[in-house]
Amino acid sequence: MAQAETLSHSGICVHDLKEAQEFYCGVLGAEMKGAVNFYTEDTLNGRSVHQAYALGDYLFAVALAPDFMPMPPKDQLRGAMGVRHAFTVAKARFDQMIESLTRAEVPFEGPVDHPENGPFGQSVYFKDPSGNFLEILWRRDEDVTYAPIPDLDVG
Amino acid sequence: MALNGAFSHLTIEVTDLDKSEAFYLDVIGLDLLGRDLVAEDRPTSLLAMNTRQRVLLVEVPEVPPYPASGGSIHHAWLLTVKQFAKARDRLEALGYEPAIDPRQSFRAVGEFNMDIHDPDGHRFQIQAFGDEGTEILGSGAGTVACGKIGEFAPGSVTRIAKGRFFLVRNADGFLALSAWCTHKNGITTWQKESWHYYCPFHGAKFDANGVYKGDMGCQPLRLNPVSIDDDGTVLVDTGRFFAREGYSPSQAVPARPGAVFQCGGLRELTVSLERPVSKARE
Repeated sequence: MAQAETLSHSGICVHDLKEAQEFYCGVLGAEMKGAVNFYTEDTLNGRSVHQAYALGDYLFAVALAPDFMPMPPKDQLRGAMGVRHAFTVAKARFDQMIESLTRAEVPFEGPVDHPENGPFGQSVYFKDPSGNFLEILWRRDEDVTYAPIPDLDVG
Repeated sequence: MALNGAFSHLTIEVTDLDKSEAFYLDVIGLDLLGRDLVAEDRPTSLLAMNTRQRVLLVEVPEVPPYPASGGSIHHAWLLTVKQFAKARDRLEALGYEPAIDPRQSFRAVGEFNMDIHDPDGHRFQIQAFGDEGTEILGSGAGTVACGKIGEFAPGSVTRIAKGRFFLVRNADGFLALSAWCTHKNGITTWQKESWHYYCPFHGAKFDANGVYKGDMGCQPLRLNPVSIDDDGTVLVDTGRFFAREGYSPSQAVPARPGAVFQCGGLRELTVSLERPVSKARE
């Protein structure tokens, strides 16, 4: 039994909040959960300007980078730049997700087959418009019951 | 397209797999599933939480330094309150500096946080939410005499710090809105420029009558009963709280001597904890 239940959210930086919203909400189907704009009291006190999206059961706090943020090479579709977030879909929907990425003209790498002795099945790799690396996969353990994910919270 | 899926795992680049694996097992408290179970060109270690989520450590020669703009980049572990206490003990036992919360002033009641960096500088927030976050908090101020009717102009909102409420005079009369946010017991502020109450902890907003505006599904701010004595003094009982689904004019107490709060149709809540206002925040 692990001593940590779950990851609850991540804060990542982007160059352009509007562009990020179009990608996460428009392309990936995330839902806007909250926002802190330039004028709220806590922003004036130093809190980041950010928007929060629920993507599946995960919360992304997407913050506006206050200065230059390095981008990976345009043709590099798989990488991490420190970290990469991966989302799982049912195996039966995996091909649909690939078709959706293709329709939305999101370049991706894959599908890549994972070793059969591990829990992952196949992955595709891509980036958001600010160069944050993402992954969608299906998992061999999709029928296993785990502890439930707590409710999302815009923390 | 809708993802209609779930978070699977966070891939983290590390420069020393053994060292980082030990950190995530011994300090964070994850379970080890195994090594090299994933299609990566480099050595990997796959770690488990109690939910379906996983952490994948990938050993690389160099981890890109966080850019100067990376102050907002972090990942948050959600622990139970008991797990949080154990994590804090582990940190101290392993010789880490006492963990601090750099944004303590933004936290709601019952929200526990500390920041920690892994051996390669990846920043993690460790958080837990105690029951206090949803309990009904009394101020211990009893019945507060706010002033005479004429001291409060129609349309005014007056913050009464001692009793942790806002006294509102609208077209229907007086309302006393508890300042505790119904989301997670943050303390709301009145932003008159925007004509709403705002909770800085998670960004909840409530209109001038205390009704939530947004998509977090919060209940309206709770009511403390108002009464007006025969001399025209506005009194608020801070020891009683009423929940409501929205605003209706009957919740307001008419601005005349002898008027009292009508609680018909409202649900009275039980105060579970007294949280007196500290001198510093009065």
